[in-house]
Amino acid sequence: MTDPGAAPEPTHAPLHTVSRGRARWHRGLMRPVLQRRADVVPAAQAVAFVIGIAVALIAGALLLLAAGNDPAQVYGRMVDSSLGGINSISRTLLRATPLALAGLAVAVAGSMGLWNIGAEGQMMAGATVAAGFAMSAGDLPGPLLIVLMLIAGAVGGVVLMVGPALARAYLGVSEIITTLMLVEVSIRIVEWLETGPWKDPESQGFALIEPLPDQASLPGLFGRTHVGALFAVALLVAFWLAVSRTAWGYELRMAGSSPATARYAGISLQRKVLAALLLSGALAGLAGAIELTGTATRLDPGLSNGYGFAGIIVAALALMRPSGVAAVAFVFGAVQVGGQSIQTLGVTSSIATILQAMILIGALVAAVLLNYRVRWVRPVGHPPEEAAPPAGPALDRTPPSDGSSNPEASGV
Amino acid sequence: MSAPGDAAVSPGAGDGRVVVDLRGIRKEFPGVVACDGANLTVRAGTIHALLGENGAGKTSLVNVLGGVYLPDAGEIWVHGRQRQFHSPADAIAAGIGMVHQEFRLVPTLTVFENVVLGSAPRYLDMGQIIERVAHLAATYSLQTDPSRPVWQLSVGERQRVEILKALWRDADVLVLDEPTAVLTPAEAADLGLTLRSMADRGRSVVYISHKLDEVLSVCDEATVLRGGVTVARPRSLAGVDRSELAEMMVGEAATQIQRPAERPSGDIVLELAGVSALSDRGLPALHSVDIDVRAGEIVGVAGVSGNGQRELAEAIAGLRPTTAGTMLLAGVDITGASPRGRSRAGLAYVPEDRLGMGLAPAMSVVDNAVVRSYRSMRRRMMLDLRGCEDFCRRLVERFGVQVGRIHEPVSALSGGNLQRLLLGRELTGEPKMLVAAQPTRGLDVAGIAAIQEQIVAQRAAGVGVLLISEDLDELLALSDRLVVMYEGQVAALMDPTQVTRAEVGAAMAGSAATASGGNS
Amino acid sequence: MSEAAVVGLLVATVQFATLVYLAGLGELIAERSGVLNLGVEGMMAMGAVSGFMMALATDRPWIGFAFAALVGMAVAGVHALVSVVMGAGQVVSGLAITIGGLGFAAFIGQDAVRERADAVFTDLGIAGLADIRWVGPILFNQPPVVYLAGLLGIAAWFVLNRTRLGLALRAVGESASTTDSVGHSVTLLRSGAVLIGGAFAGAAGAFLSLYMAAGWTEGLIAGRGWIAVALVIFGAWRPGRLAAGSLLFGFTLALQPRVQTFDLSIFGFEINTISPALLGILPFLLTVVVLIAISFRARHRPSPAPAALTLPYRREER
Repeated sequence: MTDPGAAPEPTHAPLHTVSRGRARWHRGLMRPVLQRRADVVPAAQAVAFVIGIAVALIAGALLLLAAGNDPAQVYGRMVDSSLGGINSISRTLLRATPLALAGLAVAVAGSMGLWNIGAEGQMMAGATVAAGFAMSAGDLPGPLLIVLMLIAGAVGGVVLMVGPALARAYLGVSEIITTLMLVEVSIRIVEWLETGPWKDPESQGFALIEPLPDQASLPGLFGRTHVGALFAVALLVAFWLAVSRTAWGYELRMAGSSPATARYAGISLQRKVLAALLLSGALAGLAGAIELTGTATRLDPGLSNGYGFAGIIVAALALMRPSGVAAVAFVFGAVQVGGQSIQTLGVTSSIATILQAMILIGALVAAVLLNYRVRWVRPVGHPPEEAAPPAGPALDRTPPSDGSSNPEASGV
Repeated sequence: MSAPGDAAVSPGAGDGRVVVDLRGIRKEFPGVVACDGANLTVRAGTIHALLGENGAGKTSLVNVLGGVYLPDAGEIWVHGRQRQFHSPADAIAAGIGMVHQEFRLVPTLTVFENVVLGSAPRYLDMGQIIERVAHLAATYSLQTDPSRPVWQLSVGERQRVEILKALWRDADVLVLDEPTAVLTPAEAADLGLTLRSMADRGRSVVYISHKLDEVLSVCDEATVLRGGVTVARPRSLAGVDRSELAEMMVGEAATQIQRPAERPSGDIVLELAGVSALSDRGLPALHSVDIDVRAGEIVGVAGVSGNGQRELAEAIAGLRPTTAGTMLLAGVDITGASPRGRSRAGLAYVPEDRLGMGLAPAMSVVDNAVVRSYRSMRRRMMLDLRGCEDFCRRLVERFGVQVGRIHEPVSALSGGNLQRLLLGRELTGEPKMLVAAQPTRGLDVAGIAAIQEQIVAQRAAGVGVLLISEDLDELLALSDRLVVMYEGQVAALMDPTQVTRAEVGAAMAGSAATASGGNS
Repeated sequence: MSEAAVVGLLVATVQFATLVYLAGLGELIAERSGVLNLGVEGMMAMGAVSGFMMALATDRPWIGFAFAALVGMAVAGVHALVSVVMGAGQVVSGLAITIGGLGFAAFIGQDAVRERADAVFTDLGIAGLADIRWVGPILFNQPPVVYLAGLLGIAAWFVLNRTRLGLALRAVGESASTTDSVGHSVTLLRSGAVLIGGAFAGAAGAFLSLYMAAGWTEGLIAGRGWIAVALVIFGAWRPGRLAAGSLLFGFTLALQPRVQTFDLSIFGFEINTISPALLGILPFLLTVVVLIAISFRARHRPSPAPAALTLPYRREER
């Protein structure tokens, strides 16, 4: 063998010629490369959230313009109705309460790297068990009944979470899908209760569940809001203390951050997964019971009202931190109240839903751009064929054995 | 060590044309200069050894060639043209085929799907492709079944798939990073034959290794790297003496920290009797291992990687259940104890993957410092944060860990500082026994010295040390006794003062035990 | 139970199956590339409303249908940008697509709510076959989208299993870094898969508004998007099993509004006592069961779930 270039592999040449040397059309395109910034933007997530709000407001304004509305007027009404005065703020807090509780539920699981996508369903389950309890023990005095209902709500959330939690801890089944599936299950169970077992005999043709006893409603706080808002704040503070100041919280963070290290430290991963998910379910169930006793007169399938799903967004925007959950929940509460208020202007409340989604998407993109630098690079691995190769120091050029990508060398 | 002798007879089938020429490559990582002025010239039809000690910059250099790293300076010439590789795909297109130590295969896909991935024809005519892959494999005597899914294959078979991938792309230059580290001797011999048949067909092979005997039997030419610089480029290995090569690799022997000469005479702190365990894949990985370590003694564990060292360390730490045998720590049976129970009984453990099992990368230096001791820093339910910080500061100071702020994520630290932090954490609380797996791997010179000093200091303080390492010099210098692992068993027990590197190497390769009275 | 009732049930089964199959196939393609898109519900809503309005405007259902696919693709583009190009969380991004998509659809569909389209798909009535008793109405007298869905399923199987593109797609869903290292663009592959998935979901939405419901209301999708997400798991990420699963899920969907009218008793059990709401639970519970079964099997062999599902990939230049 003296000339390897002339001894190609005849065996598979026809097939592999498609591969090497021939640039695919996209190889020459500029491609973005994300490079982590060395200098971290302080409070990057808060900045990203504000950018997200700005992006959402601009996009919303364009939408409103396109629909023939005056954005200034609509936004003015939204701000006024949600933040302009004690009464408005109380309405915002009324909405922020379930958002914060659901967000907290998601954040508890999230601080261990787990996704409770089913908070919506657990809220429903919590409200259902609480309502069922109230119906069967309707003659208890108010305070006792409410406390027991809240406990029942937490139990309801846990009941719906037991399956996903066990499956995740002991079988490794993704909690994302199982919790999500059970949302539809719990909502449909309420629909079934509504048409059958728990149907209000006085509702005639309508499918309505029996009303709750009169004393089963949370005391008001000021304006429209109720003491549930205080529960939310207290639970957020408690969770913050638990995560950052207790050994339990340390173990939870360690288990979420580096399972192998946690195992070495003698932390039982399975028990931590169970604890985080069940606590998450309990909090979501509690949120459902608070919503039931705070705002509703009877259980209905619309009670959870998307709070559970919005809670996921709240927790994600807050990076699972309790203080962030409170802030984001308040903003989302205000957006939702604002959305309700603009219906009198002939604008659909769906603008509020759009704004919430846009805030998230804007903030997600902003967060990436704050933490990474985008560099556009053009792949230069393939110098143009016509460019004369620089004269190397007495280097013979060996043609690739398929000869296809280097025509001028094929005569060797 | 274990490579075919007959393959070494033809010194280069090519006509000497240069296929790859790397000139003056410099590559710097935060805190470490991996290469600075590294050159590599590979000729057609040759198997070219890239020699160097651990940390000499071999892997960084070939990653530059493979398009994984962009060099900070220097030129890449392939087939007489200067190239700039921005991605592995660019290098593949230029005819460079890389076989990394961690394979890049998709386990659920079949062999042939993995082989053609990235350069398949638009339409996959299964029968035809399988036939061609089988033919290609047969041409280079690479035994494999193209239609089997990769997850069913052994490590050796997976390596063959990686080589097939490169051949399918018609790579002129195949780069193998420590290919025999994961192979059995028989597989290594087969690999030698395959590489020779590639060279005979005019392709070139870059063969990274630090095992001299293996290189001498397989390779035609060599480039020797030391400290990121090319120090020698013998055109032919035919007449080269292995001690010459060794000298080139090592240079003036780096001041290796040495344990004091006096013999330890403490009581036995760790006693393993008949310990067996399974690997992650559920196959037997440890067979009836007996090892004992005395107080104030360093017992080194040598072996080609993948011969049960990792499982041994994990079994002792309580992270891997044992299937048989007993373990005593200072006379206490810890066979069934939890990792935490063992740590309380006086065991310290420095795991092989620092940022996987030893430290949680995203958590702060403080959080990582208290992994072993946070339970004692509780006040009722609350964690004593001030106490944790004080503990961390003391640790950082005592072990010379360079940190910016103790609340920054531990992943911001360099490798040497990570290891100091990890070792320091494990050594606080006066352990009786230290198990250190690859404690100096990947560290710079200063880092290695600091860690080795600590280990020797522990010996002086009466701690028993089990030192698992792939760095033979480190083992020979530090160990009082040397255990050689082969296929999950203790193949030999040696006295480091009485054996040569070659004898240890032979035992690592599984040749008949040459025990030379280590059972003092 | 009359023959007409049974035939009606089976005809509806095929149509509901088509609906969830189309959306599920799109989701399957996205998930095989490693991207979970929980935005199916939102993309279907956007497809339904835009397809319906376009058909109203042009008087041609096909134009509406194609437009819906484009709109679905555009909505999916947001998910691709956020979760693939930017590498942000797939779960959150997908949920934002669902929430935002539902809101957006409600916003632009305000005026279309009470409209009734004349430009809807009609049954194809294949000559000679459509009149066969039983089989004819069920298989040969369906709207064209039903047959299109079947063809798309076969095409998807072929592309996934017999082409270079499909191989790359499957590989990128298992290991992005490996696929990147052999020269495929992870971003292009995944974005493409997400966009195709969006097109399928948008088309499925249009099938709902241009045939099955023949109109648009807020809440039209009614959780069918979530059924599609469940279906992908139930079908173990394989187009063929997806088809079988869609028939089963389609059957439960078709049975729900009818079950209480059926006068049938099996072993003394009156069928019409089954609650439609509880029947609606079935697909979701079955999916959970399948997931758990998969996890048991995965102890001996790799799970059928794409290994890189939900894992973002960023190559950082060093």
